[in-house]
Amino acid sequence: MVKQMVKQMVEDYILEALQREYSFKPGVDVYAIDFIKEGYMNSLAIVQFVVELEDEFGIEFTDDELASPDFKVVGKLIKLVEKKAAKD
Amino acid sequence: METIAKLFYRNVKQFADKQAIWCDGEEMTYAELGTFVSRYANYLISRGVRRGDIIGIPMNNSIESVALIMAAAAIGAGLAPINPTIPVDAIDAAFQAGNVRHLIARRAFYNQIQGKDLPYLNGCKLCLDGAIEGADSFEQVLAQPDTEPDIRCIDGTETLVLTMTSGSTGTPKPLELTQDNKLNRAEAHIRLYSITADDRILAATPLYHTLAERLVILPLLIGATSILLPRFTPNMWLNCVKDQRVTFTIAVSAQLSQIAQLLSSPFVPEISSLRSVVSSSALLEPHVRNELIQKLQCDFHEMYGTSECSTVTSINFREAVDKQRSVGKPLPGVELRILADDGTEVNPGDTGEIAVKTPLLCAGYYGMPEMMKEALVDGFFRTGDLGYVDKDGYLYFSGRKKELIITGGVNVYPQDVERVVSALPEVSECAAFPYSDERLGEVVALAVVCKKGLTLKKRAVQVHCAKNLADFQQPHKIFFLSELPKNSMGKLTKSKLPEMVAGMDG
Repeated sequence: MVKQMVKQMVEDYILEALQREYSFKPGVDVYAIDFIKEGYMNSLAIVQFVVELEDEFGIEFTDDELASPDFKVVGKLIKLVEKKAAKD
Repeated sequence: METIAKLFYRNVKQFADKQAIWCDGEEMTYAELGTFVSRYANYLISRGVRRGDIIGIPMNNSIESVALIMAAAAIGAGLAPINPTIPVDAIDAAFQAGNVRHLIARRAFYNQIQGKDLPYLNGCKLCLDGAIEGADSFEQVLAQPDTEPDIRCIDGTETLVLTMTSGSTGTPKPLELTQDNKLNRAEAHIRLYSITADDRILAATPLYHTLAERLVILPLLIGATSILLPRFTPNMWLNCVKDQRVTFTIAVSAQLSQIAQLLSSPFVPEISSLRSVVSSSALLEPHVRNELIQKLQCDFHEMYGTSECSTVTSINFREAVDKQRSVGKPLPGVELRILADDGTEVNPGDTGEIAVKTPLLCAGYYGMPEMMKEALVDGFFRTGDLGYVDKDGYLYFSGRKKELIITGGVNVYPQDVERVVSALPEVSECAAFPYSDERLGEVVALAVVCKKGLTLKKRAVQVHCAKNLADFQQPHKIFFLSELPKNSMGKLTKSKLPEMVAGMDG
């Protein structure tokens, strides 16, 4: 139950943050979006995004996690944050 | 006398079936856009928006945003477009400085301001994407009659756009652009770059910046086609230029550096439609510029300008091959002066503050008439930039006198960052300063001095900034120092900071 709630919170938080400026187009597979490649977040915003995620869920990303291409894919990022939030 | 709305509605009739605008896979002909603009204007009128009123809008790049600009022009209302990622408190301050009464925003923004006390927003409220309590939905705009609003009373003196800049105390300083300002600026660029109705003009910067506003208004005044990139990445830019057969664009230099990098890889689409590209914001490195000229196969211009003055100088590198480091000659009707600190002109060839007399000068700072008067010397606007003019009349940009960080083409006012960081109880003093970055030109760096006996973690500063500053204002480098560099009078000498932090891990 708690796990499910965290999952939902993480997903809601990430989807809202990524759509601060532009909404995802209806009908697209949101989880497969590379939000940097598709311009939903620019390289200036990512600094803020990382800190906000860490602060919101009490987690800390490693350099490897931040450098991984998976970090920029919506679905994979949600999974990563869920996993880390559940551990901490 | 011509106005933006008159010219636009004339083109709606003359070019009815021609493509007027494209954005993110959606497009409209002039007839369709004309209908859309009329419905939007009629909606605004029906909700009590009057000539001279200011509408606040956290704006993104969409056909709806462009239609709103034209609808506002048609009814004489003004817009205060704002970056949606700015924290609500800063948006609140900006809206108050702009005397905003009406709000047009997406659901996310209405959720963000829920529970906030914003009593001045007592006019029209429109939600762009769905339903929200207390706001109209966009269906109500589309349900309006498509009759053209009466534009006879519009005379061009109306405020069309308030662009937010920041004052020395961190208070917003809205820069006021009237309809005439916007029209004159568009016409000056049409002449300068020989733009015609056959052009397909790309705007690839956010619409809350004056550059993109100019680039979307301009084609609609002459029956050309406006291509609006929803978001920028170098890949999206190149594909859009190719697929939409873009012929002309003005881009910020940070974008062009990224595009040049991409163009040097083997798998890029061949671009053959461009006839002219203009680089703005900061001077490109010659090797980047040459790469772009070679790969894009078009004329390449650079320009120098400020938000207050619009374009001041321009240079076409095919015509001025021996002036690779110059930002060009003044536009017709524009005069330059290079001033010493006491306001007198320096000797020819010497460096000083660039001052500009131009018919394209903005109307002033909204609600602050004294402030513009202070910035003018004998009708010349003191830009806060440093430069010199060579014997042939070409201007060279040497740096900035005013405190400003330009990151990826976006202005960051150091005092905005410093005000937020100073609020941390551990901080004794701090300074935000530009730090060179290959991709973005500059990024925000921060030097922090802690109070005696107190310490602060970098992470605590990052979290505080993430919560209280916009994305583009985030410090990318944070240095802890025992003191800030000061001169003998105790005045902070920020120019020494890059040297002081060299080699330090930020």
